[in-house]
This record gives sequence, C-alpha cells and structure tokens, in this order.
Amino acid sequence: MTWPAAIQEIIDEFQEIEEQFERLEILMDFSDEVEELPIEQWTEANLVKGCQSIAHIEVELVDDAVWMKAAADAKIVQGLQGILSIAVNGSSPEDVLSLTPEFAEEAGILNSLTPSRSNGFRTMFDMVQKRVKEGIQ
Amino acid sequence: MKQDFPIFLRKVNGNSLVYLDNAATTQKPACVIDAMSHFYTSSNANVHRAVHTLAGEATEGYEACRSLLKQRYNSTRAIITSGTTEAINLVARSWGESNLNSGDVVVLTEMEHHSDIVPWQMLAERKAIELRYIPVIDGELDLDAFDVALEGAKLVCVVHTSNVLGIRNPVEKIIAAAKSVGARILLDAAQAVPHEMIDFQQLGADFMAFSAHKMCGPTGIGALLVNDTAFDEMEPFMGGGDMIQTVTLEGSTYQTNEHKFEAGTPRIAEGVGWAAALDWISKVDLQQHHKRLLSIATSIKSSLQERGMTVYSPLGPDDAAVVSFTHPTIHPEDFARLLDAQGIAVRTGHHCAQPLMDKLGVSGTIRASLYLYNDDSDAEVFLSGIDRVLEVMA
Repeated sequence: MTWPAAIQEIIDEFQEIEEQFERLEILMDFSDEVEELPIEQWTEANLVKGCQSIAHIEVELVDDAVWMKAAADAKIVQGLQGILSIAVNGSSPEDVLSLTPEFAEEAGILNSLTPSRSNGFRTMFDMVQKRVKEGIQ
Repeated sequence: MKQDFPIFLRKVNGNSLVYLDNAATTQKPACVIDAMSHFYTSSNANVHRAVHTLAGEATEGYEACRSLLKQRYNSTRAIITSGTTEAINLVARSWGESNLNSGDVVVLTEMEHHSDIVPWQMLAERKAIELRYIPVIDGELDLDAFDVALEGAKLVCVVHTSNVLGIRNPVEKIIAAAKSVGARILLDAAQAVPHEMIDFQQLGADFMAFSAHKMCGPTGIGALLVNDTAFDEMEPFMGGGDMIQTVTLEGSTYQTNEHKFEAGTPRIAEGVGWAAALDWISKVDLQQHHKRLLSIATSIKSSLQERGMTVYSPLGPDDAAVVSFTHPTIHPEDFARLLDAQGIAVRTGHHCAQPLMDKLGVSGTIRASLYLYNDDSDAEVFLSGIDRVLEVMA
C-alpha cells in the first residue's frame, strides 16, 4: 500500500528496528509530537474509552485542515497519539477519512490492530475520523 | 517443573517467556492438554443419558472430576460451575433468593473481587437486603469492625486470599465469629486453593467457590462446595435438561443431588481436563512450594523497594506470592508493555477490585504473581527487565 510521505517515513523508521523494546522506546519519543490538550479541556466527550490509561483527543477543523490535540497519562499511549498527529495534522478532511490504521501494524508498532489488543490506537484512530466526519457535516 | 508446561517452549517478542500473571490464570501442564485432546479424540459424547460406550466413558471422565474435588477438599457436595463467578452467583440466586428477605444483612469486605460484590448488589436491588462492608486498614481486614457488622447478619462473604495483594485473611476466626451469630458463610477461595490445601468440612464454611484455571486446570470450569445443611436450603434457579427427575406439561420434579444445579450439557472436556490437573497437583507439595515462592516474592519485594517502588503486598507467612506495586512516575501500562517487550508477563490495572484500589489510593497497580513453575531465574529476568525499564523511563 502507498502511504503519504510522512506516514511512510514513520513506517521506515520503525521497520529498521528489530527489537520490540527499542520500538517502544522510539514510540515514546513520538509523544513530543502531540499538541497537548490542556487538562481543563478534558471532558467525558473527548475521553478515549476502553483505554487502561487516561487519554483524551480533541479534533478541530481550521481552514479546512484537520488538527488534533491530545493527552494521555501513559507515555506509550501518548506516543501513539503523536504518530496519529503526524498522520492527520494539516491534512484535508478527505485525506484523513481515506486513511486506514493499518500503517501502525505495517510499521510493527503494534502486533495486532484488533480492538482488544491495539492499546487504544484503533479506538483513537476511529475517534479522529468520526470527529472529522461530524465536523464536515 | 517447567518441562511439564509446553507453553514455556515459545518465545515472546524474541525472549523466553517469564510468566508472572498467575493470579489471573495459570499455565497448563501437558497432561491436562493431552487429557482434553484425548477426550475429544476418543471419548466425546454427552453425559448422564445414553447407554452407549462413549457416553459411559464421558460420564465417568466428567464425574471423576467431581469425585476428586470431594476427596481433595473433603466435601460431601461439589456443584460444577463455569468458575468462581458463577459459583458465587449460584449462591446468590439459589440460596440468597430463598433465604434472604427485605432488611436481612449480608456482610462483605472491601477486599472482595467484583465477582463477590456485584451479585450481592444485584440481590440487594431485588430483595432490599442490607450490605455491610468490612473496611480494609493498612491492607488488612478490620476485625473489630467485622464483629460490629456481624450483628443480625444472615450471610458473610469473604475472600480467603486477595487477588490484588496476596493477603490470606484470618478465615478461621471469621468463620468462627460468623457461626457464633448463626450466619452462613461463603468463601471466595479462587486464589486460595492453588496455594494451600483446604479441608472444607474442617474449616467449617457453608459455601466455597473456586476455579480450575488458577490451579493448572482448564478455563470455563469451577466448583461450589456446599455443606449438607446449606445444600438443603438451596433451590435450583436454572431449569433445563439434566437437572430434572420427571417433566410433565403440568410441572417437573428435580434431581436431589448436585445435578439439580447443573442444568444443560455440562463442561465435559473441561471436567476431564480438571481431573487431570487435580491428579497432577496431588503429586505436588504445595506447602513446600508456597515457602519457596514466598521467599522469591519477598526478595522481589525488597529489590523493588530499593529501586523506589511502592509495594502494597505485605507478604506475611501465609500470604500468596503476589507482589503488587507502583512506581512514583511510570504509568503501570508503560511498565507492563516494556516488560512484555522483554517476554515478561505481568498484570496491570485495578484487578477487578476497584473498591480496594480506592482504599489504596491508586487507580491501578502492576502485579507480579508467582506459581509452581516460577523459579529464581524468573525473578532475575524480571528484575533486570525492571532495570531496563527504569533506565529508559526514570
């Protein structure tokens, strides 16, 4: 599958790493990519449900571009939010809606994308797309 | 002992498996896997009815499980259930519905697993019974509060050994006190039977619930031991095949033995597997292993404390080898995923005991729980795994 350049770069970076522990270390580095959602803006509506950790995601449409803010108390989850931010921030709603979450699997970030094993990534991905859909309606 | 367990041949993320999530479920020895496979390959049939050879073998295999349970735990009755949760729900439905009425008191503790809280809350909604909770102070049950709460109690439900902290409660004292006021007593022994031998009649509880999968048996099967007095007070709540004597269009009569509470086709292969596990574990010196594992857990505890962790498990001489801990800044989920990346399996979260978590003032802990096949080398790998996590996170 052909991915947008920014996503392909992430896939390449992760595919170079053989050890799962190191992969998680790199994943945690991506937590810096998150534009932080301030704690006072954490609401029940932007809470990511089904996560062991506390995670929130808010999505905005600015000049027809998608921007997400997020926060999580677990660093690995925040790293996933960072990768998601790179994948969607600044993209058009149409591009975000045409994305599929399989790039995380292809990169080897997650062993599996099944909802019960994907540590909330799938849930967060679906949440962003749902918000974008609602935003353009 | 690891050679008895085929799962230890596999690699997890390129590493040998160090399995420290035994309070959630234990691994299965080859004899259990083989017994279940052999059942499906050569004896599969339904039980208790048909006269053909396979049906006879299936019935013998399934009922052997019940006989072994009665023998091992010295009980006259063993109702086979899907596990501890169903066993407790069975007491709530079959004994609770017919023996508890509006205003009656059921005493629980703050240390209970959700499976020994929710069924009683549901019954309380239906029957307007009063639930009283014994507080936990510094990780132990407040027995003074227990004596007060006992007044007028009809039933006391208590966890024998805590799944979160490994604490073994003073069940002998609790049972004696409950009996002195004429209350029935239910023990959640899910975490107890894997670690110690229990003589049900000698202990004197009325009900004891536990699961096969926490003692090297299959998932999906467990038991409720009941003494004869309490058994006679129970009414069946689930109707269907196998639990009846006669059925006419006007009405039915029920079996008088344990089958009365086992409507429908039971968990036959699981019964066969559990029988194999009971046979396997009967050759294991639980007391000796308990000592050995507790000593490993104690050394893990001090090592974690030296590394700045808060350990919640007191690890008293009778407690199970469970080490529940948190780090001041590292999220339990990060910890567990970074350990998993090194092939080490631990549990994180609230361990189905949210009231106890509230009491401890944490939203979740990391829990390393040991069982028969764990050894010093597992502890070494675990601690070096912890060190690697600390190197990158702290």
